[in-house]
Parts: sequence; C-alpha cells; structure tokens
Amino acid sequence: MPKIIIDGKEVECRAGISVLQAALDAGWNIPHYCYHPGLKVVASCRLCLMEMKMPHPQTREPGWAPKLFPACQTPVRKGMEVRFDSDKVRENQKHVMEYYLLDHPLDCPVCDKAGECHLQDYSEQFGNATSRMVEDKHKNPKKDIGSHTLMYSDRCVLCTRCIRFCDEIAGTGELRKVNRGSRNEIDIFPGEPLENELQGNVVDLCPVGSLISKDFQYKQRVWMLNTARSVSPADSRGSTIWIDYNKQGVHRIRSRYNPQVNEWWISDEARFGWKYINSDKRLNTARIRRGVSWEAVGWEELPGILRDRFASADENATAAVLSPMMSCEEAWLLAKFIRQVAPRATLVRGYVPIEGEDKTFPKGFVIKAEKCPNRGGVEQIIAHFGGNSMDFDEFVKAAGAGRFKAAYVVGGYPKEWITEAHARAISKIEILVAHDLFPSLLDQHVAVQIPTASFAEREGSFVNCDGLLQPFERAISPLEGVKADGQFFHELAGEPGLFRAEKFRVSVAGELEMFAKVHVPPDEPKYAH
Amino acid sequence: MRDEDIKVLEAPKLTAAERLFMPQIIDGMRCTLWHMFNTKIRNNMVTQYPERKRELRVETYRGVHRLNKDADGRVACVACFMCSTACPAHCIHIEAGESPWPDREKYPVKFDIDELRCIYCGMCEEACPVDAIELTPHFELVGRSRQEMIFDKEKLLSVYEETKELKPRKNPAVTDYGLTGGQSKEVARPTAEP
Amino acid sequence: MPDIMNFDPNDKTPTIVDRLIRAPGVIIGVAVLLGVVLAVVLVAVWMLWGDAVRALLGSQLGLSIVIIAVTIGLMFSVIATSILFERKIAAFIQDRKGPNRGGFWGVIQPMADGLKFLLKEEFTPARADRPLFILAPCIAFIAAFIGFAIIPWAGEIHWPWMAEGETVTTQVASLDMGILYIIAVGGFGVYGVVLAGWASNNKYSFFGGMRAAAQMISYEVPMGLVLVVVLLAAGTLRPELIVNQQAETGIWNVFLHPLAFVLLTICAFAEANRTPFDLVEAEQELVGGFHTEYSSMKFAMFFLGEYAHIITGSALIVALFLGGWHVWFLPNVDDTVWWAALIKFAVYWVKIILFIVFYIVIRWTLPRFRFDQLMKLAWKGLIPMGLGLVVATGVLVALGWQRNVPANLIANAIVLGISLWYASRSPSPVTGRQDNLPEIEVRPSATT
Repeated sequence: MPKIIIDGKEVECRAGISVLQAALDAGWNIPHYCYHPGLKVVASCRLCLMEMKMPHPQTREPGWAPKLFPACQTPVRKGMEVRFDSDKVRENQKHVMEYYLLDHPLDCPVCDKAGECHLQDYSEQFGNATSRMVEDKHKNPKKDIGSHTLMYSDRCVLCTRCIRFCDEIAGTGELRKVNRGSRNEIDIFPGEPLENELQGNVVDLCPVGSLISKDFQYKQRVWMLNTARSVSPADSRGSTIWIDYNKQGVHRIRSRYNPQVNEWWISDEARFGWKYINSDKRLNTARIRRGVSWEAVGWEELPGILRDRFASADENATAAVLSPMMSCEEAWLLAKFIRQVAPRATLVRGYVPIEGEDKTFPKGFVIKAEKCPNRGGVEQIIAHFGGNSMDFDEFVKAAGAGRFKAAYVVGGYPKEWITEAHARAISKIEILVAHDLFPSLLDQHVAVQIPTASFAEREGSFVNCDGLLQPFERAISPLEGVKADGQFFHELAGEPGLFRAEKFRVSVAGELEMFAKVHVPPDEPKYAH
Repeated sequence: MRDEDIKVLEAPKLTAAERLFMPQIIDGMRCTLWHMFNTKIRNNMVTQYPERKRELRVETYRGVHRLNKDADGRVACVACFMCSTACPAHCIHIEAGESPWPDREKYPVKFDIDELRCIYCGMCEEACPVDAIELTPHFELVGRSRQEMIFDKEKLLSVYEETKELKPRKNPAVTDYGLTGGQSKEVARPTAEP
Repeated sequence: MPDIMNFDPNDKTPTIVDRLIRAPGVIIGVAVLLGVVLAVVLVAVWMLWGDAVRALLGSQLGLSIVIIAVTIGLMFSVIATSILFERKIAAFIQDRKGPNRGGFWGVIQPMADGLKFLLKEEFTPARADRPLFILAPCIAFIAAFIGFAIIPWAGEIHWPWMAEGETVTTQVASLDMGILYIIAVGGFGVYGVVLAGWASNNKYSFFGGMRAAAQMISYEVPMGLVLVVVLLAAGTLRPELIVNQQAETGIWNVFLHPLAFVLLTICAFAEANRTPFDLVEAEQELVGGFHTEYSSMKFAMFFLGEYAHIITGSALIVALFLGGWHVWFLPNVDDTVWWAALIKFAVYWVKIILFIVFYIVIRWTLPRFRFDQLMKLAWKGLIPMGLGLVVATGVLVALGWQRNVPANLIANAIVLGISLWYASRSPSPVTGRQDNLPEIEVRPSATT
C-alpha cells in the first residue's frame, strides 16, 4: 500500500493504479473523459493533467516540474507528491474545456444526456462561462450506428471510450476514428453497424451525449428519474443494475458497478429486455375457478382459501414448484407454507430456461445461457427444508403419472415456458394453483390463478451462478390488482406484519447461512464515471 | 446573534385618556367617514371592469400561456422539459418525440398546461431556453369544466395567434437547436468580457 | 331566452334584462306601481269593510296584530336595506363602489342575495346533531325578533271614531316588566349560537359557540347594570313610560347618563356579535365560527338574525336614551291623533336607521379585539364603571335629583374620573418580554 501526497494530503492507495484513480478513490473531483478503470489508458483528453514533484536535473533538488503530467497515465509510486490544486492545473482545465466547447452545438435542451452529462458538469465546475468562438460551428447529422444506438458526432469529445470498449470488452471492434484534425470523428465501417450484444454499454460509457440509446431517447429527462439498486433477472450471472424510474414507471436500466460479478458492464438483454413488465397481457387479478367460469377473489381472502384447499388434499400428494425466478425470501416463505399445511409435501425446483450456451467475451464478461436469476438460491432452500424434493422434469413425469393431487406452481418467466406436454401432464393435478406473470397453457386446468409482480415491483435477493446472494430493491409499485409476491407469501406463511426483505433476511439468517452472507457491491467513487 | 443585538421594545404606555380609546375611535371614524364621502378618490380609483379595462403592462403581465411559433409556423418548443421542471405547481405535462422536420431534433408531441393548477408565476417563461413559452396579457380565462381548462398544444398555439400582434415574440432567433448545429451567430457572439 | 350553452363571454352587448334592471326609471316605476296598488287595496278594504277595520284598529288586541304585521314587514325591508347599506358603506370607506350591478346603485342587490341563499345547496354535515342543527338558526332568528314586542313605537293613539279619552297604545305588548323581558330574550339569543356550534360537530364551530357564550354572558352583566341605572332614574320598567318621561321633560336620558349610554352601546355591539366584538366568527382563527357548517337558508337565518339583533338593540337604545319617538318640535305625548302617531313612528325608525349606520361605520373603522382584551374590557372596564354609575344614580335618586342635568353630569364625571385615575394606576398586564420580572425557576418535568 504505497502512500502518496495529493494536494499536501497523504493518501494511501492500492499499488499499481494510476494517480487519477487514487485521487478519485480518495474523493478528489478530478475531471476526466478518456480514463475508465475498465479500459486501457490513452491519456487523450488532457483534462486530468497534474503537477508532480520531480528532482531537478542538475541539483537533484525535488521541486514542481514545469510540465504537466496526465494523472491517468502516471502510476502511483511510494512517496510521490502531486497537486491538482494549483493555478497551472486549473488554467489547463479551463483551456481544455474551452477547446471541447468550441465546436459543441450546445443543444442541451434537446440532448438526452443533459443532467448527467460530464461536459455540462465540467464546464460548470472547471470551465468558462463564455465562449470566444465566433466562427460557424460544424454541423454533423446524427448517425444510426446500431440497432440500439444513435451517434451525434457534433457532441463528441473524442475520448474513444466506445472504441476501446468495442475492441477490448466486446472484442468486435466496430467503431473507429475517421478523418483528421477538426473533421476527426467516430464512425462505423460502411455497412458494418454496431451489432454486438453489449452495445448498450457504450451509451453508459459515453461521458457526453454523443451516443444515445434509441430506447430511451426523448422519453424522459434524467433529473426526473429516481434510481433503485436492483439485480438483473435476465440471466443467472446476476448483473447488478440501476433501475431508473419515476411515477410513470420504469424508463431505463443501467449497469451498476460490481467488481466481483459484472464490473461496469451488462448485456443488452438485461438492459433492454425488461419491457415485458409493461405488457398489457400481464395477469392482474387473483381469481378462482368456479365450474367453467372465473371469479375474482380479494387478496385478503386468498391465504385462507389456499390454506383450506391444501389442507384438504393428501399431504403425500402435495407439491410446490419453486421457480428460479422467485427471490430467496419468497421461495423460503412458500416452502414454509407448504410444509405447514402438508409436512410431507414435495418441493420442486422449477423450470430452468436455458438458451444456447454461455457466451464469454475477451476480457471475461459472460452472458449465461441459464435465463433465470435464482436457481442457486432455490436449490439451497429446497436442500435446507429437506424431505421430498425433485426437479421440474421429474415433477412433470410424476404429475403425468397421477402422483400429485395438489400443487402450487410458480412461474414468473418473461417468456412462454409451459409446453403442451407439460400442460397435459400437470393438468392431472386436481388442485392446481398457478402463480404466474402471463397467461399460459396451464390456465384452463388451474383452480386458483394468482398474478405475480415483476422484478422491478418486488424486493428480495437472488443467488447468482457463483453463489453470491445479492439483494435488490423495489423500484415501482406493482401493477394495479397485483400484490408484491414477498408480502403475499409472508401473509400466506402466517408471518406477522409487513414483509421487508432486509429484515426478513436477518430473521432467517440463523436458520440458513446463505441469508447471512449478503453481497452488496461497493459504490463507485463519487466523482468517477 | 449576540445579546446586544437584541433590541427590547416595550409596548408604549397609554395615558389614562388613551385608555378610554374614545378619542382614537373618533379619530378613526373621522378617517373612515372622510373616505366614505370622498367621491373623487372613489371615482378615480375604481375601474368598472367589463366596460372599462385597466391598461396592462403587456411585456410583463402574467396571464394565459402561449406557445410561440417559429418563422416557419411550427411550434417553437423543443420539448426540453425545462418549464415543467421549473414549474412549482407541476402543471405542465410534456410528451416529447422526434420532430417530423429535418432541421429540428425534438419537439413536443403533447404539451398540456393545467391552467387551473397554474399559479402564473412565470417561472416557465424564465426557464425556457428558446423563448417558446410565454405568458400573455390575456387574463379573461373562462371554461365550463376542468377538462376544458387543460390547454393542449393546439390551444396554446392558437393563443399565440391571438396575441402575437399585442405582444410580439421576443427573440425569434433561437429556434434551431438540433441538427443544424445549435445557436445562430447573433446569439453566440460574445458580449461578456473574456 | 338567451342561449346559455353558446354564450360568448366576450360579447359585451347587454341583454334586454340587463338594460331593464340597470334603468332607475324601471325600478322606481315598479316601486311606485306597487305602492299605488297597495294604496288602492287599502282604500278598497276601507270602503268595503270599514266597520271591521275600525273595530280592529280600535281594539288593543287588533292593533297589536296590525303592528306585528307591519313591524315584521318593516323589519325585513330594513334588514335588506341595511345589508345593502353595509356593503355600500364598506365599499365607500374602502374607496370602492360596492354592489352596483343589481339595479341602479345596487338597489335590488338584497333581492339577488336572498334569491342566491334560497337557491344554494342545503348541506348538513354527516355527523351533525340534526334536530339541534336545524333548531339553532330558528332560535337565533326568533330570539332576535321577539324583543320587538315591548318597543313603544308611537305612543298612544286616539282614533277619531273612538270614545273621548279612550286610547290604544302602539305597542305589541305593554308589559309591567318590559325591560326585564328584553334582558331575558336577549340572553336567549346566545342559545342559538351555542347550539349551532355544538350541533355542527366541528371544532371550529364549537370554539365559535363557546366564545359566543363567554362573550354574551360577560356583556350581559354591564348591560344589566346600565339598565339598572336608567330604571333607577325612571322608577319604572315600562319602556313606554320611560319614553314618555323623556318626551314630557324634553330631556333625553343620554343627556342625563352619557356614560351609561356609551356603556350600553358597547354592550349592544357585543351582544350583536358585530365588529369589534365578532370573535365568534373570526375568519382568521375559526373559519366561519359557529356558522361554518351552515349553508343556504339556514345560514341566511343567522344572517337575518344578526341584523334583526342590531335593529332590536338600536330600538332599545333609542327608547331608553334617545327619547324614542320624541323630537322636540314634533308631536309630544299629548298629541294622540292618528297622523301624530304616524310621524312618531317614522321618527322612531329614522333614529333606528341612523343608529344602524353608526353600527356599520364602527364595523369598518375598528379592528377586532383579541379575546383577552374583550374579557378585560367587560370585567375590568365596563362592570366597575357600571357599578359606580349604579351607586351614583342611587345617591341622586335618594336625593331626588334624578332628572337634574348638572347633578347627573357631575356624577358621571366623578365616576369617569375615578375610573381613569384607577386605570392609570393599575399595573398593566404582563404580556411579552419584561425586564423587571423575577426569574422563574424552570424544572424539568417529571414525565420527560
């Protein structure tokens, strides 16, 4: 752990990092565009230049070197002394900012980055209030560079983060700098659009409004959004995400820094694949079959009805299918309920959707084939409760053989998951309770149908493929007519009070060790981006 | 705040005659009666509204909103949401979309102002970067339902048509945010000292 | 019929109805027409049933009934007019013009107001005590009206067709304990207000009702004392005799007891719940006070009751202190011809209306008292002075100087002087920050 001196203060930092990273970690607000800890250093933006103490060439006396050094490219050395709080550094920042804004269109009112734009922030904090530019500015039309991404070259500061991302992380290298001098801009090769499965990340990476997500464009201004810390349910990798939402619902998903899992990146599936939560096909009433017709039933009556139904069935022929889309808390509470009413009931690990194979990118980013967030958690809970257990295929087979008389089947998958064969087998179950997000083939055989809330409407925790239990927060309130699953299972299991995932994890931590080891990734330093 | 900064004021001590209050009451009545019989002040002060109207300061009066049109007759608003952000009454609701014109980037698909919620503070006018929303001197605002008082884009543009002679648009130069590359030269010319 | 649905608010052309209502000639014409019709009807009645009418007017009971009818009619007209006057004078004092759209000079504005009250939604709060809620405005209204029974409107009348020496009195009821009756009925008025506050099931209404109770009970005491002063001097409880005394001697009681007159005026203001004593309905504190929950005609009853109270109070003060129907150069007690009675009646009403105008001007001149000031004024100001006056008058009566102007004025001056001397010496109440107060030891309370 070398100690360096920044602005006269001694700072302890990790070995091998740059001075810029050390300063950011220690809470300095150092302007920077091109530097990103996940990418190679190019030192092209010249904003993070600092003064450094060096021995005088003749006298060997240590003194401030006359030249400025890029902080992002200077590794920390024991005892080095640097300063950002000097007129020279400030002067440099001011002039570099002026250069950046020379040809900037200043179209913040129509730019979707406004509000989280580092050109805005830095020009306010380090730049000039006025521009001396009197010539006409360059006019560059926007370019459609990929299925999810738009490019506004005139807003670009040429930090090349996007180019480096495509080269290093995605490994596809679609983006390039073209032309020279004042005509220099970032572009794709003709006829080769940006089409990798991580392209959404270049929008997050872009420090200005040059790369814009088509999905979010014109939707909202960023200062109108609230954020919730969540975990992506798109695959079993358990990428941590920010959900940006407001009163009108969820508006976008961004990656959340998580050094142990997804670092700074998320897949496009996680970023853009959440639209199903706004689908109008979603189930939104709890209902009971009466003969051939349905009858809506109030949420407050439901626990009593389910308890009666399951208590009337043979306890050996009772099963609960714990979907890997459920959070650990929900799975625990449902298992607890089913074992309360039928101590010998079978716990089934729900259907695990698998699409293709794991896809690994050059620097180790993985998109998992397993498209459910919580298989690990559900398996651990089933193992903890012991007794009869099986997986979904076995359950279908046994149901087809008529072994089960009552079952609580939880779904919650964004895609169709019940095949006709499944439905035919499961339909042999007399008392079938389906807890699902969308209508499915099971509907015609179901005795009680309960709508489930989407991941943005619930709180809880998922165990990812590496066995890390990661908590997620609720962003929006559930669809009208839907109750958050955690609260419903809480009432179903006869627990008192309101369901609060964090409180609940603490209360069961003594019984299952998994709940004690919650993995909360550290936040990025305040001024890093 | 120190102790010596505190100034202690005693209630004035009333004399015995003042405690009767009668002289003061008579004094007060003299004042009120003077006003009561002074028809001159009254006639000069009062404006008989529907027949006679006050002369308003057109530039600064804060009445019904309007949405200005640019030189080509299109809505000048660029849907930046600054007005709805600045609005303390949360009465401006905008839905943005891609503009149908090649030289403009973003425009309001929907622009609703709830004139009943509005407090006519003029913050939206202050906030607007393109001077698209303005308050007009038109104050006779009537409607038969709450729904009618939610002014949509068409209505706000028609208010502009009605009031543009009375109060011309202030700064029509700044309209072309977007693909043309930002502000026009007149606006960008540096006027502040370096 | 104007097309209401397609009414254009920018259309400035006045409608026919508008023009007719604004034209002074139309309204004066209608009034004259109605007057002529009334006169014709009266003449016709006189011609057709002359004997019956003469019998009716000649008997005390019949005349009482006629006076009740006439008085109630007059009361309503005067209330309507005084509402208009209130608004007009308020406007004039504030350099406004006041209502001027309903008819010329706003003359049919009271009719419009009344119509509005009739057409408004009648609303009763869900948890209100319904019977009391409905009863309260009735009580307030009735209590304000029945005080009129003992007002001696125009002395005695001798109709030409009556036997010599026989007269009827122009009073609904000539009671031995007339003034006591007024006090009793006046005390009844607070009942309506308190019930209204209680029945509304609204804490602001309740506060208003409670304030009204405290205020009215407090001001009943000095009012009683002042009445005792007049009664001691007059030696009778009959209002008509008190008026006759003033008329015969030509010296109104206000010249004998100026201090008592001021005290009674203050008490009358407080009893009517008018500014500066309208804490009962202090908008800033209590929304609307006791009538917060009242709407439509029920609210109008309180409104009418308030103005009726003003008129009753004025009539009482006029009878006790301002000589009733008496003016020096106009008919006196001995003139009992019927036209003299009419003049007396008119004089009485003129005095009442002048007093109402005084009420209104006071209302728009003085700000509202604070509640502690209100109580202080009653208990520390009016009651001691009233007691002093009772003592002084008692001494004068014992000496037989009760109608001696200089003696009475001297007695008043002495009482006033003593009051002022005492007031200047009495310590002022502790309000606000004071340097010379002893330190109060602050102990932490046991519960926290």
